[in-house]
Amino acid sequence: MTQTVVHTGQHYDDALFASLLADLALPEPDINLGVGSASHAVQTARILERLEPVVTNQRPDWVVIYGDVNSTAAAAVVAAKLGIRSAHVEAGLRSGDRTMPEEINRIVADRLASLLLTPSRDADETLRAEGEPECEIAFVGNVMIDSLLNALPVARSLARASGHVLVTLHRPSNVDDETRLSLLMSALRDVAAERLVVFPVHPRTRDRLEQWGIESGAVQTVEPVGYLEMVALVDAAHAVITDSGGVQEETTALGVPCLTVRETTERPITITAGTNRLVHDPAKLPGLVRDATRPADLPSIEGWDGAAGQRVVDALIAGGLP
Amino acid sequence: MKLLHVVGARPNFPKLAPVSRQARAVGVDQVVVHTGQHYDDAMSAAFFRDLGLRPPDINLDVGSATHAVQTARVMERFEPVLLQHRPDWTVVYGDVNSTLAATLVAAKLGFRVAHVEAGVRSGDRSMPEEINRIVTDRLADLLLTPSRTADQTLRAEGEPDEEIMFVGNVMVDALLYSVQRARTVGFRNRLGLSMAPVTVTLHRPANVDDPKRLTAIMAALREVAAKRPVVFPVHPRTRGQLEMGRFDVGSVKLIDPVSYLEMLDLVEGSHAVITDSGGLQVESTALGVPCLTVRDTTEWPETIECGANRLVPDPAEIPGAIASTTRLDDPPRPEGWDGMAAVRALDCLRTR
Repeated sequence: MTQTVVHTGQHYDDALFASLLADLALPEPDINLGVGSASHAVQTARILERLEPVVTNQRPDWVVIYGDVNSTAAAAVVAAKLGIRSAHVEAGLRSGDRTMPEEINRIVADRLASLLLTPSRDADETLRAEGEPECEIAFVGNVMIDSLLNALPVARSLARASGHVLVTLHRPSNVDDETRLSLLMSALRDVAAERLVVFPVHPRTRDRLEQWGIESGAVQTVEPVGYLEMVALVDAAHAVITDSGGVQEETTALGVPCLTVRETTERPITITAGTNRLVHDPAKLPGLVRDATRPADLPSIEGWDGAAGQRVVDALIAGGLP
Repeated sequence: MKLLHVVGARPNFPKLAPVSRQARAVGVDQVVVHTGQHYDDAMSAAFFRDLGLRPPDINLDVGSATHAVQTARVMERFEPVLLQHRPDWTVVYGDVNSTLAATLVAAKLGFRVAHVEAGVRSGDRSMPEEINRIVTDRLADLLLTPSRTADQTLRAEGEPDEEIMFVGNVMVDALLYSVQRARTVGFRNRLGLSMAPVTVTLHRPANVDDPKRLTAIMAALREVAAKRPVVFPVHPRTRGQLEMGRFDVGSVKLIDPVSYLEMLDLVEGSHAVITDSGGLQVESTALGVPCLTVRDTTEWPETIECGANRLVPDPAEIPGAIASTTRLDDPPRPEGWDGMAAVRALDCLRTR
């Protein structure tokens, strides 16, 4: 089996992308579609148009798609229409909230993919309940934890802070609503009165803060950070406040208390493991941060063992010959 | 309440017609968006007229292209239309690329989608229509089904009961509404046939893009034509295949594509129909005309269960099957084939 990596170029920040590749020891993508940022429909449309000839030319045994971005759904549609099988890594995750564009991408990708590679047993159950046939569902574990465990030794050698509170916010429901963003920042300023708060800010969110005149106070807003630096910041944190799916899992794997400022999560295992908590009301954040403690032992979760990628490849090879 | 209907190609129009007529009858605001997937403007306009539809309010003119490119163009051009009109329901029909594209756009923007003809499955994912159906059903908020089988299919796919509403077959609504008018067209008489013909339609890539398969089908049709007139309105795409490959059409009568009313008149007066179209399986059944479907699968099992339709994937079996078919005494009427499906669809849309 050979491989070709196609980067659709949904992500527009070259510097950030280059540092991600370096941090994850990934080569440059073989093909870059350069679709850039746009509305969901336009971005999805560009990916459909530009990916179809690539898949037609390459005719792979598998189109492997990841997670829940617009490229994930678009690639699933392209492959399905061309009669080429797709495998979805991180299948079966659901927030139950269809106002999240990611949820739409997930359900389209899972509906069309021929191999559903799941990170957790609850994802298997979700897919069964949606009528997906047993033979398409393969539990492989969490590939993000593979990356995390792989990066951890280097990340720890980079650590510059500890005992801080790390904040990441990017969802439209949190950062595109003036009232909501004000409430969140007010809570973060309260937290920052007691502890160092580090908040890597997306340029778009920085613009919003300025535009709406929302004060950062003692909160240290910094430029977006690379993957290794992020792992280091999570690993050494007293607690993390986030609305990201990935960070909920990374904190769980590292035993770092996580407060998720959302009403739902597509990763319920992080809640049952005891490290993550949904906190929709920002006013509760200062108290919860104060009370946060690390668990005595790291949560032990099936498939979070650093070998998920290996099981993915096993499943692809096992199902690879039609 | 405001409905925004999205149609893209000829098979959609007979589904839109009764729903849009009923919406008008009960005084619901509506906008019809025609994505223009269909490449033949004259044919599109004639269909709209035949079905008593007003011309579309908005035409997106996406034209013909690969599946991905066509889907992409619909998405790009439909998004601003949806944001401008902000309907209570985006109503999508059947299983064309526009059905999927409009549904994806609406779902991402948080607009509710109703799918007319939900839960229909052939079980064959190599059909692009099947991909369009399953994605649309997964994303739509209201699944208006043509049959109880479709309800069961959707339940088995984990769709919540409250989203599934059996309304019946809207294509049969259109047919029952139009059949009287179709008889006055006199199209079949104008063809000057000696006896009731066999009417043929073929358009699926599996049948018309494979020269070996098309040769075998044409041989079977020539054999049928030796005993009885065979009328074959030719899809431009199929005509291309036939002319390029210089197939022997024998005494098979190739005619230009026909309008909706002409087709109804032709089918109603036929001895039998040979087709690979989904819609014609339903229409011939509703008219009590035996149908032979040149495919391995059908998304309309009720047409088989009532005895009107039969799958004949092997072209060599077509002549024998034609010789043994007889018209049904009474047209079968599966549940929901009563001309009231659109009335029930509007009831569902208005009470939510």
